[in-house]
Amino acid sequence: MLAGTVVWLQMYRERHFRAAEAAQQILYVQSPAVMKRLALSFDAVVADLYWIRTIQYYGGTRLSRDPDKHYDLLYPMLDLTTTLDPRFSIAYRFGAFFLSERAPGGAGRPDLAIALLKKAMATSPESWEYPYDIGFVYYRYAQYEQAADWFRRAAKVPGATNWLEPLAAVTLAAGGKLEASRVLWQNLLANGDQQWLRRTAEHRLQQLDAIDEIQRLQSLTAAYEARHGAPPPTWEHLIADGALRTVPRDPAGQPYVLNPWWGLVTVSQDSPLWPLPTERAP
Amino acid sequence: MDAIRTEGLTKHYSVGFWRPRPYVALEGLDLEVAPGEIFGFLGPNGAGKTTTLKLLMQLIFPTSGRAEILGRPVGDVSVRRRIGYLPENPFFYDNLTAEELLAYFARLFGFHGQERATRVSRILDEVGLGAERRFQLRKYSKGMLQRVGLAQALLNDPEVVFLDEPMSGLDPLGRRDVRDLILRLRDRGTTVFFSSHILSDAETLCSRVAIVAHGKLVTAGSVAELVPFRVRGWDLIVSNLTIAQVHDVGGPDAVVREIADGRHHVILPEAASLDSALSRVTTHRGQLLSVNPVRDTLEDYFLARVRQAERREVG
Amino acid sequence: MRSTLLVAIHVFRDSVRDKVLYSIVAFAIILMASSFLMGQLTAGQDVKIIKDLGLAAMSLFGLFIAIFIGVGLVSREIERRSIYAVLAKPVLRHEFIVGKYLGLVGTLFVNLAVMAIAYYGVLEYMALTLPAGAFTGGPPATDPRLLLAVGLIGAELALVTAIALFWSSFSSSALLSAAFTAGLWVAGQFGADLRNFDQVVASPVAVWLARGLYYVLPNFAAFDIKAQVVHGATVSGDYMAATLAYAMAYIAMLIVAAVLVFSRRDFK
Repeated sequence: MLAGTVVWLQMYRERHFRAAEAAQQILYVQSPAVMKRLALSFDAVVADLYWIRTIQYYGGTRLSRDPDKHYDLLYPMLDLTTTLDPRFSIAYRFGAFFLSERAPGGAGRPDLAIALLKKAMATSPESWEYPYDIGFVYYRYAQYEQAADWFRRAAKVPGATNWLEPLAAVTLAAGGKLEASRVLWQNLLANGDQQWLRRTAEHRLQQLDAIDEIQRLQSLTAAYEARHGAPPPTWEHLIADGALRTVPRDPAGQPYVLNPWWGLVTVSQDSPLWPLPTERAP
Repeated sequence: MDAIRTEGLTKHYSVGFWRPRPYVALEGLDLEVAPGEIFGFLGPNGAGKTTTLKLLMQLIFPTSGRAEILGRPVGDVSVRRRIGYLPENPFFYDNLTAEELLAYFARLFGFHGQERATRVSRILDEVGLGAERRFQLRKYSKGMLQRVGLAQALLNDPEVVFLDEPMSGLDPLGRRDVRDLILRLRDRGTTVFFSSHILSDAETLCSRVAIVAHGKLVTAGSVAELVPFRVRGWDLIVSNLTIAQVHDVGGPDAVVREIADGRHHVILPEAASLDSALSRVTTHRGQLLSVNPVRDTLEDYFLARVRQAERREVG
Repeated sequence: MRSTLLVAIHVFRDSVRDKVLYSIVAFAIILMASSFLMGQLTAGQDVKIIKDLGLAAMSLFGLFIAIFIGVGLVSREIERRSIYAVLAKPVLRHEFIVGKYLGLVGTLFVNLAVMAIAYYGVLEYMALTLPAGAFTGGPPATDPRLLLAVGLIGAELALVTAIALFWSSFSSSALLSAAFTAGLWVAGQFGADLRNFDQVVASPVAVWLARGLYYVLPNFAAFDIKAQVVHGATVSGDYMAATLAYAMAYIAMLIVAAVLVFSRRDFK
């Protein structure tokens, strides 16, 4: 009976006091400098433990259905992790990616992402990946001049990969156009060191291909309209007209949808590629 | 040349942290031990016996005075090859076996190979450790540890052996073994210096003794000199007599005590005649169970001198 | 000289069999094996945490071992008077204490080697069972450079053992000796802070004192190259040589001091 009381009290406590505890519990110690000293010579292990907690925190928050959810602890935890182990590259890169990701998938704080990456640059000036990541953050927020600037800085680091200069050039010149996007995603597909990153790149490239396809198809429907006075009501009409051989499918295999009123082409809502991104944000 | 010799050997300690007071453990000890003697070093607890032994082994350093063993100053490492030492309540290295421990000590003495193995084996036989020699020392009883202690003290066939309370922790059987061992050592010509409070052993074994109390030497000399053989009375045990008859046997000045089962203890004073007492027992048809002379023992002498020393100390 | 070696061998034989050491090493190995489970939680960083945890375990448990053997075994020997029988033999006190130190360090290294073997065992297992295509960026699982970190841990612990031996050569309280040794180890981690005291405190006297302390106290932080080797950064041969030389010099100083104290000590 006593055991039952104990369990009931624990459940009660869990339900009512959980939220307040969580914040303190995760950080334990607020100041990175203090934590580094407390860890004595075991800072790498403590960094690992904080990293595990960071991932759990991020994952838990992302999956949560709480309408008020926030990622406020993400930066402090990443700061702690990287102070304890200044060479913890994946903490910097992963952390920056999800700090810059717009809500509700991420914190939506590009300023913090850039601060974290600058910290990384200070301790590892020989890594080109960090200035490159900063450029990427600017790129995602459509600040193309700064993005290109950072890509150039990355390119100047000895031993940097050789597609950074062209990338900077494309970014500068085209500024938000699809070509630059495509180059970036192709790079990530080829060189990304995480599976989820490569899958995302593949997905985005398919979307870009779809956008190109759509443009081409729309020129066909315009030509049809010019010939017949009205846009084609179905794909069969275009096929009968000789413009196409089969019903066009998007790179994911779903047939494109033809809107007969305007002659517009879109991807089907059943397609995994839906919705297509706008030109500005990849 | 004396086997052991001390001159004015003194040890003071400072006791207390804030206001250190001197504590006199040993004061001005002058001692000579001739080679081949069995020398008993006696005294109550805290008298300075162990302090003296430690000074001789250079486990502690004297405040003043000097000591020599076999003509060399104490602390001369070469002399240590020729002596043996049994500390009080010895403990050794738990995780080793007796054989391993003795092999280690043998190597320190400089014995190698086959000679070492033979010596170790022989000495373990001599102290009475059989198959136990292969068990780790952590498993040994106090008595067994004492035997190991003796073994390591005698491993190098020393000329002089120092034993601190060699009988402690042994049962009567063990004590007799040690007594026999000491006698064998004397037969071999080894000088034996031992400290003890078991005075009856000292009396039977030692050629000379010294008595210390409160850090000072009270007296030293041969047992015969100190405790002359003099009968001071007789101790009888009789049975089968009534109490009145017993009193008659003993005479007016006797001390009579009843032991169990109809036996009585009669102590005749010095002046009484033994013969008349014995004939009275026969007259009353009693039984004579034992007759023993009452003499001064070393113990009596020891207690008397120690009390004297105490009184001097206090007064 | 011969006697010194004899003492060392004997001390080694006696200490290596001590049951407490078995428990400590077993615990360390269990921890390393279970770091495997922790590796599953880290989004592709499995190898890093196993490497980190293994080195940290060796460092921490090695510290316990060093303090235990340096303080515990010496105090125990004096307390239980096992030392009386030995010192009555033809062995000089300084030979005894140097031999004792060598035997203790031998025991320490054997225990460290056992832990290192288990460590590489876990890493090898990790390397063999790694799924293809998982994140393999960075240095290999069984990177021989890790041995450099283990080597410096060994040197660090030899120094700790020397400190422990030094304290117990004159202190009668095992607890106090252990506490002082542990305290010095902690203090020695803060070398950087002491050196940079002027950035925190204005008083020049305090800064001067702190600097002095920095040079005098054993600088244990210098032995910590764990983070470097795990990330595959190079550690120069010069650095290793300089650090090892520092360790040996400091140890020599401590042993000489211990010999001086020990030679004059009364064993009450």
